[in-house]
Amino acid sequence: MRFADRAAPALLITLTLFVFVLLYGPLMVPIVSSFFTVSHGTVDWSQPTTSAYVALTQNDSVLSALWTTLIVGAGAVVLSVALGTGLALYYASPNAKGRNFLQFIIFLPFLMPPIITGLALLIFFRQVEFERSLLTIIIGHTVFVLALVYRTILTRLQSLSGSLVEASYDLGASSWQTFRLVLLPNLSSAMAGAAILAFALSFDETMITLLVTGTQSTLPVRLWAMMRLGFTPDINALVALVLLFTTALCLIAVRYLMPASAVAGSDDN
Amino acid sequence: MAEAGILLKLRSVSKSYGATAILHSIDLDVRDGEFITILGPSGSGKTTILRLIGGFTQPSGGQILLDGSDIAAMPINRRPFNTVFQDYALFPHLTVEANVGYGLAVRGTPRAEITKRVADALELVQLGPLGKRFPGQLSGGQRQRVALARAIICRPRLILLDEPLAALDVELRRHMQTFLKSIQTEIRTTFLFVTHDQEEAIAMADRICVMSAGRIEQIGSPHEVYYRPGTEFVAKFFGENNLVPGTLGPVEGTTRAIDTAVGRLVCSIDGQPKIAALPAGSPALAVFRPEAVGIGDAAEGENRIAARIDQVAFGGASTMVNTAAVHQSQQILKARLQSRPDGTSLSQGETIPLVVPASACRLVAA
Repeated sequence: MRFADRAAPALLITLTLFVFVLLYGPLMVPIVSSFFTVSHGTVDWSQPTTSAYVALTQNDSVLSALWTTLIVGAGAVVLSVALGTGLALYYASPNAKGRNFLQFIIFLPFLMPPIITGLALLIFFRQVEFERSLLTIIIGHTVFVLALVYRTILTRLQSLSGSLVEASYDLGASSWQTFRLVLLPNLSSAMAGAAILAFALSFDETMITLLVTGTQSTLPVRLWAMMRLGFTPDINALVALVLLFTTALCLIAVRYLMPASAVAGSDDN
Repeated sequence: MAEAGILLKLRSVSKSYGATAILHSIDLDVRDGEFITILGPSGSGKTTILRLIGGFTQPSGGQILLDGSDIAAMPINRRPFNTVFQDYALFPHLTVEANVGYGLAVRGTPRAEITKRVADALELVQLGPLGKRFPGQLSGGQRQRVALARAIICRPRLILLDEPLAALDVELRRHMQTFLKSIQTEIRTTFLFVTHDQEEAIAMADRICVMSAGRIEQIGSPHEVYYRPGTEFVAKFFGENNLVPGTLGPVEGTTRAIDTAVGRLVCSIDGQPKIAALPAGSPALAVFRPEAVGIGDAAEGENRIAARIDQVAFGGASTMVNTAAVHQSQQILKARLQSRPDGTSLSQGETIPLVVPASACRLVAA
């Protein structure tokens, strides 16, 4: 028995490590190899170099894809936070009609395979003869990230005491004053967190973008195009950068989305 | 027509959710300047009454009249009432000062006036130095007072208090009861206070409206509901009481006899036309409080019951004695007797003559 007592934790630790290596090991490969050059199909391990990163900064197609990505991300964030806040407020209002159906509609594009969402959008844009452009990518990304933004804001909204809104009305405030002076300040950190998460999602969204884009490429789409020509160190560098960026965003988002009590001291006596 | 001295009238107000009726045809007058308490167990509909008056929910039927005119269409933010919520509902992102001044700020009151009135209100609730704190940095009792200051600052016609002391510990609660009552006296504003705590209601209210299962059981002064219960429910709701079932006998002036298992008891029916009107032979209950029971020989207008002592519980100033009536039945009667400093006590099994004055004995319909 005593052997088993000692063996079990060791086994669990080994298993956990193995899972972690399996999950995150592959991510390390492009990061590490982005610092070495490749010649004639073999990696030159002798000398680490940042040349791949330098090459990226001079690659106009990558830079313009980055620019497109930022615009799309910003557009999708603004649209989804505005829509998500409005929908969450509607869902939480006592007289909301058809709220469950509405919620189902919001979640659908997020839960369906992206290729289905993308195709549906593509078919829709063609049917209404809406020319594919930067705007169609922004719309596609908004539809995709809306569920996450909506859910994040709704969760915060529902954690607020319902009597806060009642108290505001009771003290003579209009609905606009109640939104601006009571709801918005209490939702703002959730909205910021949701915006960052939405941006991170939009930043590496590929499938929907491929389908609804016109002539523009976002960074992941550019990456996709580059890979078809074979793996080069600058692809590794780009992957490493995207990885770094999205990880950083997620870490920041977590800070904003922590319950208020965990950040600004306990709310209890 | 507005009636002098009546601030608010509820007329046949009912509320139901689907097939579930929460309130059945409530009639209630709130007098100007009074401290009225709506008292009832949970689920009795007391908070629903408060929410209907505040405008947070709409009645299913009936009218709520302010100065004689129906306020059904008046939105929450136009009603001249302010509420102290059960969870206080202080805005967590605003300081105490901003919380208290909120009602003035949203009305566009000049800043200088807000500052002055906030300072006055905080002074009134004895929170002067805490204005810059946030609600999360205050104790329960302090938050309670911020909520009160925020409600009184707009000088409402009526302040609605929804079980505001429920979250406080016993000692603080006692203190806040006195405090609330003194504030109410000082600002002379009508308070409508909802609670499930009988002692709290008796300690503060000018009038108590006792509710049960969506109906008003009785409205009266604390003394009235305590000593002259109108219904069996009220008689049982305020602590220990003696309820002896029987059948009604004849009416004699302001008294009426009831034949019970412990003999014929004569009870006062002063101010109880409904009991007086019941036909003889109707079932009813004789009700008298343990502290109204004495020992000794019955004089004119007193009821005498021979009883055997079952249990004696010394409780300081008074001693609670449980007795079983010596008669056909084993009806338990409780007597709260003054304790004797010399220590001579009543012993178990002893038979004593209990005396209940007719004036302290009331009748309620069974």
